Amino acid sequence: MKKVSIVKLFAVFLIVSLIAACQPATPPPAEPPAAETQPPAAPETQPPAEAKPVELTFVTWSYGVETIADNIKKFQERYPNITVTHKDYSWLEYHDTMVAAFAAENYPDLVYGSDHWLQEWASAGWLVPLEDHCPDVTAYSAELAPYALEGMTYEGKVYGLSYYADTMDFVYNEALLKKAGFDKAPETWDDVYNMAKALKEQGLQYPILMAWSQKEGAFPEAWTSMVFSQHEGPNALFDADLKPVFNKEGSAAYQIMEWLVKVYNEGLFNPASLTTAEIDQVKAMQAGQAAFTIFPQYNMAEVNKPGSGEYAGQFKIALMPGKSHATVGYVRFYAMTPGAVNKGPEYVDAACKFLHYFGGKTDGEYVVVKRWAVENGLGFAQLPLYQDPDVIAAFSAWGDVPTIEQQAKLARAKEGLTTWYGAWDVFARAEIHKAILGEIPIMDALNNMANKWLELAQ
Amino acid sequence: MSVVRDPSIRRKAKLWDRLYPYVSVLIPVSIIALFTIYPVLYALRISFYQYILTKPKDHPFVGLDNYIEVITSYYFRNSLLNTAIYTTVAVTCITLFGLGVALLLNSKLKTANALKVIILLPWAIPAVVGGLIWKWILNSDFGILNGILYALGIIDQYIPFLANPNLAKVSLILAAIWKEGPLAVIFFLSGLQLIPNELYEAARIDGGSSWKIFRHITLPLLKPILLIVIIYETITAILVFDLIYVMTGGGPGDSTSMISWFAYAEIFKNLNLGHGVALAVIIALMILALILAYLRIIRYEENVGYS
Repeated sequence: MKKVSIVKLFAVFLIVSLIAACQPATPPPAEPPAAETQPPAAPETQPPAEAKPVELTFVTWSYGVETIADNIKKFQERYPNITVTHKDYSWLEYHDTMVAAFAAENYPDLVYGSDHWLQEWASAGWLVPLEDHCPDVTAYSAELAPYALEGMTYEGKVYGLSYYADTMDFVYNEALLKKAGFDKAPETWDDVYNMAKALKEQGLQYPILMAWSQKEGAFPEAWTSMVFSQHEGPNALFDADLKPVFNKEGSAAYQIMEWLVKVYNEGLFNPASLTTAEIDQVKAMQAGQAAFTIFPQYNMAEVNKPGSGEYAGQFKIALMPGKSHATVGYVRFYAMTPGAVNKGPEYVDAACKFLHYFGGKTDGEYVVVKRWAVENGLGFAQLPLYQDPDVIAAFSAWGDVPTIEQQAKLARAKEGLTTWYGAWDVFARAEIHKAILGEIPIMDALNNMANKWLELAQ
Repeated sequence: MSVVRDPSIRRKAKLWDRLYPYVSVLIPVSIIALFTIYPVLYALRISFYQYILTKPKDHPFVGLDNYIEVITSYYFRNSLLNTAIYTTVAVTCITLFGLGVALLLNSKLKTANALKVIILLPWAIPAVVGGLIWKWILNSDFGILNGILYALGIIDQYIPFLANPNLAKVSLILAAIWKEGPLAVIFFLSGLQLIPNELYEAARIDGGSSWKIFRHITLPLLKPILLIVIIYETITAILVFDLIYVMTGGGPGDSTSMISWFAYAEIFKNLNLGHGVALAVIIALMILALILAYLRIIRYEENVGYS
């Protein structure tokens, strides 16, 4: 009898759990945040004396953590009522970590964002349009490189202030090329192939290296930059209606894939590229293990750092080889989440001050952006900085400023920046790998990528 | 000794006696309901809805569509095949490794005691750290394995182990043997130590060779342990995630994309929670089937043993 009762009790719990589990998965829409009805906060140079203490949380990927900490310290000195708690995650895990946090509605107040996730994050409501909360941010738009502004804009609204903006650059080791008898940079992908062949014959095992680990976010940007360079004008990957156009024989993407398969099969392309991340790529280049690579421009400061190896100072940027020399320009930015908005106007106000300090101007100067450029060689979206003598001097130490500028002018935002771009770009990485490895024909890989795009678009 | 005469106290005590079993059961059942039953049912519910993370306010009921979509996709078939290959090879190798080393440690080897401790170390190391160690060992530029093979003249150039689809699979299996082998050793060792010495002595007196003793005494008596090891390692292999996450990220291509990685990728890369949870349910059913098979075998073994 007792046994039956216990079973009944258990059944009751099971039913209760079932009912609880079947409650609507979507929480009822929250009350509109108070901040949205408040007039937007204007940036102030000094906080009012009676300002309430505010604690902001700021999440970044792990790069230049000491510099970030120092920037935060200076910001806090300027705004003593604002405390910023900084947390960082590996770049390779950043997207997934943030998605998990956002999906659990565990919002930090401020985060690093990237153009390839903006649509995904903004459409989900994980980021808020800055111009709705800090209207002054649009004042910077006129001074930004178009590709960078495009990368921070979703449905006509600005969602970020640029942390840095850069181009994907083709880089070669001048010393190795000279040793092989070449006195100028390659201009086409055929030039790269011929030079790589000559370098291999002279003993360089794998002249071409890429950081194309599937976890590496810059992998699709490098691949896309190759496709852009081999294509004249826009619509290299998608047409105006966002329909894929790359899965055709003879398309720029097809030509680039053919080239990649050829250099892989002939042992010119380091097979370890498929597991290499950016840090290892930079180290391998410094060690002279390869003569050609593509990476974000900011790595130039690192590879050419005096004392960093036998080849320091020998790495040069060439315009992306190909028909048009176009490349990908991308932007990483500071963004605000609903976390700050939900906490109230004083948090929004503090977050806006933070954004202006870090991604905008302080006392008429892009203080933090300039610091990243001068100290770390990070590129920038703010065009007036190209005229800044400190920036010119810093960039001249590791690169040829006219080439950098010329490449920046040929840079375009990635095509197809949509809410599903992030998912597609991860999918595409595996397909590119399979085609390079010869596991599937090039056309199959491109068709799979196109079909996935259409499936995600639905 | 006093007797409680107050009827109200006696009534309360009687009531408590009647309630006690329910209260005792209520607490653990509540905890289980909160942390196990509710999440499982909630997950099950999600698997019947379209649940795209970027559309947090739009979850239409789609019935079995999530299951149909994942099961009919190439990526499911591919990850299932990869999981089957990995599980078969890894479980076989781990079992043989565990048995072999346990037999060695059970012998009168002088260093056996020290080895018992040392051999357990990889098992005590978290899988993520183990994965990182192997990633470094197998590195194509500075990995120690390449260094040793090169120094011995076995290879004339460094091998990118993790960039080749087949070698990447082998590398994962190697890391799994290193990680899981010690546990199998301990299981087998405990089984071996339970076998009475008299049986071996009698067999030796009867002139039994080492192989015959192993085949007719050791192996039959180790059968229950063997089953436990095989079932446990099969479950572990099907659920492998940490090693893939750290070592290969499912690549190159999708050559090391196992079923658990596929579920992760559906949720965190494709942002499709409905698909990911449907996959998780499929994985859970596979594991459940294995556990039921295991329980059936154990029951059968016990019945045979008792008869």
